[in-house]
Amino acid sequence: MNTPKQKIILRGRKVIGGIAEGEALVSKMPLMGWGNVDSENGYTVERNHPLFEVPYKGKVLVFSEPRGSGGFVGYGRSRLFNTHPAAFLYRQGNNLTVFAAMVMNVPTITDFDQDPTEVIETGDYVIVNGDEGIVEVIKKGV
Amino acid sequence: MFLTDDENRILNGEQGEIKQRCMEFLVDYGEAAGAEKLVDIDGTVDMHPGVGWVGAYDIKPEEVAELARKGERFKVPTFSDKAPAPGFIIDGWETCGIQPNCDPDFHKKCLDNLKPYIDMGMVPTFSCDHYLVSSFWPTLGQHSAWVESSAIPWVNAILGSRSNFDGCFHTAYLGKVPEYDMHITENRAATVLVRCEAKLTRDMDYDLFGWAVGEALGLKVPALTGIGQPTTTQLVKMNSALNTAGQVRMYHIPGMTPEAPTLEATFQGNKPKETISITDDDIKRVYELMNYGASDEIDFVYLGCPHYNIEEIRKATSLLEGRKCTVTLWIMTNSPTYKMADMAGYRKLIEDSGAKLLSGTCPGLLMGRVAAGGGVPRVMAMDATKQDYYITGHCYPEKVQVRYGTMEECIDAAVTGKWEGKLR
Repeated sequence: MNTPKQKIILRGRKVIGGIAEGEALVSKMPLMGWGNVDSENGYTVERNHPLFEVPYKGKVLVFSEPRGSGGFVGYGRSRLFNTHPAAFLYRQGNNLTVFAAMVMNVPTITDFDQDPTEVIETGDYVIVNGDEGIVEVIKKGV
Repeated sequence: MFLTDDENRILNGEQGEIKQRCMEFLVDYGEAAGAEKLVDIDGTVDMHPGVGWVGAYDIKPEEVAELARKGERFKVPTFSDKAPAPGFIIDGWETCGIQPNCDPDFHKKCLDNLKPYIDMGMVPTFSCDHYLVSSFWPTLGQHSAWVESSAIPWVNAILGSRSNFDGCFHTAYLGKVPEYDMHITENRAATVLVRCEAKLTRDMDYDLFGWAVGEALGLKVPALTGIGQPTTTQLVKMNSALNTAGQVRMYHIPGMTPEAPTLEATFQGNKPKETISITDDDIKRVYELMNYGASDEIDFVYLGCPHYNIEEIRKATSLLEGRKCTVTLWIMTNSPTYKMADMAGYRKLIEDSGAKLLSGTCPGLLMGRVAAGGGVPRVMAMDATKQDYYITGHCYPEKVQVRYGTMEECIDAAVTGKWEGKLR
């Protein structure tokens, strides 16, 4: 039987506009910057983190919250090394995520109607409309 | 975002190109953050001088130097946080034994680069805990723009001034900041009641407790109960951990912090959304998280995250007196406290033991390259959850193990080269 591909729509608040799409990389665990992000290689180096050494280049990076130092902007600085994500989606942020998003300068959305780390799984295909604050999720393997 | 006529004139470039770019940054930042307007800073700014923090929006050091030459000044009282990576030792650099920090030319060049910021009015405190020595605090209800993990809960929770994590050249030069998050009264209300059921007595206990709460709460604002009567050292350590394991940038201690006359008042008329308990098991779990790796053969001991205050230095000095270190021990403080410690004779006693008293940076900012000869130590001992949890990342891809404990245990390890710390 042919099952139609399942599409899910999330609505949130625009942080940075623009359109992007790609495969999701999801972290339910908060992300932490300063020494624990390697901007050059484009991955987290936080010990014990599920995304340790998992590159986010070109991915739609979806996570719960930021934590720790203002050096969180290291995620944004990966733009300098062309290792940055295609889009940046998070459940809840503050100025740490805002500065990272401004420096990264990719479509960024937060404050969603649903928890993006529950709805989106790593490997799902995600279309991000930063201007409208809309995210379309195409579930993997459906 | 709403702008006043004056703000629009700055945005249109009527007060020069640099102010225009600063205003463009504040407007883009405010809109991205969901702020409705800017607010005038009537408190203070805490900034990392010279740091490339906001990418294309940065005002370059040579542009700052030109402004300083023209006699331009920061609009509001501005204090210096640590000078940024790759790290720069302000005092004691001659003794540090690592390149390029022990090179006089490097030292002079770093100081010269910071001079334009000082000429513009930035007070050279050069510290993550500048607030312990700045001798000028924002007062209850004033708007500020600070940075740094331990400093943000200090400005919000302890002083009752209102700040997000956004102290920088732009906010200091224009004296304005987007009004959102911690600037808004309702966002400062507690939503979580934290009951501490663990016994907090030593300084280390407050560090571990702060981590446990931060990890559980993320961005939420707690009312902390059952934590006893913390000292300044204990508050600084707790704040640093709260804002490292999470983003707890505001909290209340009923009967102690200025926006918490009573427990009820901290919730601003609402009921707690959650109540959590922190127990001895939570403290034990964090302690184990901080002890990373299996070796007890210590080759580097670090004390001073956040930068040690004069009382911590006094205590460390008395622990070191008459003993000899067999491995490197760095005690890091801020520059004004270094000078007091020198005057009090502590510096000499510390150096007589073979340890080093330094100011202005930390192993994290030096990317962990602090071993004599320039590499990464093999096993470090320290008394701070923040530095402990970041240092493995800073050393990456080199590997480092970390032993975590009290100041006393760290100093014993510096003398014997062996780690013998335990939780109780």
